[in-house]
Amino acid sequence: MTFFLRTWGFYVRATARWPALAALIPFIPVIALWAIVAESGMFPRAFFPGPMDVVKAFGTLTYKGILPDYLEDSIVRLAIGAAAGMAIGIPLGVLVGLSSKAHKALWPILLFFQAVGDIAWLPLLLIWFGFGLGTMTFVIVYTVLFPVVLNTVLGVRSVPAVLTRAAQSLGASAPRVLWEVVLPGALPNILTGLRNGLGYGWRALIAAEMIVGTSGIGFLMFDARRAGSVVEILLGMVILGLLWYVVDGWILAPLEKKTVQRWGMVQRTE
Amino acid sequence: MKSLTIKNLSKTYFDPYAGSHVTAVHDVSLEVKAGEFVSIVGPSGCGKTTILNMVAGFLPASGGEILVEGRPVKGPGPDRGVVFQSFALFPWKTVLENVAFGPRMRGLPKAECDRIAQEFVSLAGLSHAAQRYPAELSGGMQQRVGVARALANNPDVLLMDEPFASVDAQTRMTLQEELTRIWMERKTTVIFITHDVEEAVFLADRVVALSKGRVLKEIPVPVARPRAWDRLMDDPAFKSLSRDVLNLVRSA
Repeated sequence: MTFFLRTWGFYVRATARWPALAALIPFIPVIALWAIVAESGMFPRAFFPGPMDVVKAFGTLTYKGILPDYLEDSIVRLAIGAAAGMAIGIPLGVLVGLSSKAHKALWPILLFFQAVGDIAWLPLLLIWFGFGLGTMTFVIVYTVLFPVVLNTVLGVRSVPAVLTRAAQSLGASAPRVLWEVVLPGALPNILTGLRNGLGYGWRALIAAEMIVGTSGIGFLMFDARRAGSVVEILLGMVILGLLWYVVDGWILAPLEKKTVQRWGMVQRTE
Repeated sequence: MKSLTIKNLSKTYFDPYAGSHVTAVHDVSLEVKAGEFVSIVGPSGCGKTTILNMVAGFLPASGGEILVEGRPVKGPGPDRGVVFQSFALFPWKTVLENVAFGPRMRGLPKAECDRIAQEFVSLAGLSHAAQRYPAELSGGMQQRVGVARALANNPDVLLMDEPFASVDAQTRMTLQEELTRIWMERKTTVIFITHDVEEAVFLADRVVALSKGRVLKEIPVPVARPRAWDRLMDDPAFKSLSRDVLNLVRSA
């Protein structure tokens, strides 16, 4: 019993000191199980490579320069798509959130196209734009757009009326109310929309790269299937998961920590 | 500091569930002199907050007139500062930024806004908390910021909507005493909405008792200032006046 308590105590102290450990330690048993099954020879090695094979493939592909190139392509596509999605989504969401006329006119349309979904556009896009960047950009922007718009609308509408009144009675004009009250008040929801949008957009990008791509992580994985290289497919999967940690841990979480958490508008349970 | 005139003010809502019109405020007239402190007291649903919202310009009146120093009220404006029951501080601004908000919206230079904000934050006794965010403050401290923010904008009339109803009883007494002290220094025209009879009498020059959307009676409060709870609590004049107002409000 004391052994478990001591281990637990060590875990709590260590993760408090190095928060990154809290994300890594739970993977130890998963990777160990993976390694044991792979080493046991239950399945042919080519069908079920172990963790070390994936690490080796990472080394080889990085050395050849394929992996860094493809990774950069995917990330740039996601960044452009996310930026365009936000640039359209946030103003549109503010408009629909503030104006009841715009809400009446646009809300049903937004819900309809949200339901259609990104991948469902692919057949049409392939006819229109062919196998290229246009198709992929459309898919990502489309995917990022809806969570951002819908959450921005929600955020704008959830800003307490009393805050708007307070600003008005302190002499704020309509544009100042928008900038000083509505946008910061909607920020928790906008960030949620961004988080969802990036998550969905990332998946949509991989799917699009598999079908129309000539580069990128999705293409890498689909190309590996053609060559029968299970190890490269697994490598692609590991990279997809890791990259989300990077986006969340280096961009989204610090942004939330500096803004909505600092202001006490949302609490993040540790 | 300016006078406030309310002439035959009324507010009628259409209640879609009852399918009929409801009169929340019925032909209310009130004259508040420049620099006067008037409390409006009455039970929940008597229309007191509706009156304040119309004076603030948040709600349109169904009939009658509201004049600030002779000028009719059209919508919310910085001439009428408002202190809200729910504080209504901007969570994303520090105490200092909240208090500087009004002067900033009026387009004063940055240095001037800072100076004013510092002055009123210190008037509210919050200099030590100037860089904190509202979520880091207690309810009593938050409402001090609310009062400082409204006063820093130098309004003609200060409208207070049950501002101390959601703080604890001890803090409330302190805040009431601080408010009378600040009011004596600055002599702003104040309309103070409350359901607490003793609070209304303690603060005001004149108490307006309200029931079912009508003014029952206006009662002058000839109690000497400065007022403090440790003296007034057992003061016979204060006690009998409070009892009279309470009986009036309860009998209606």
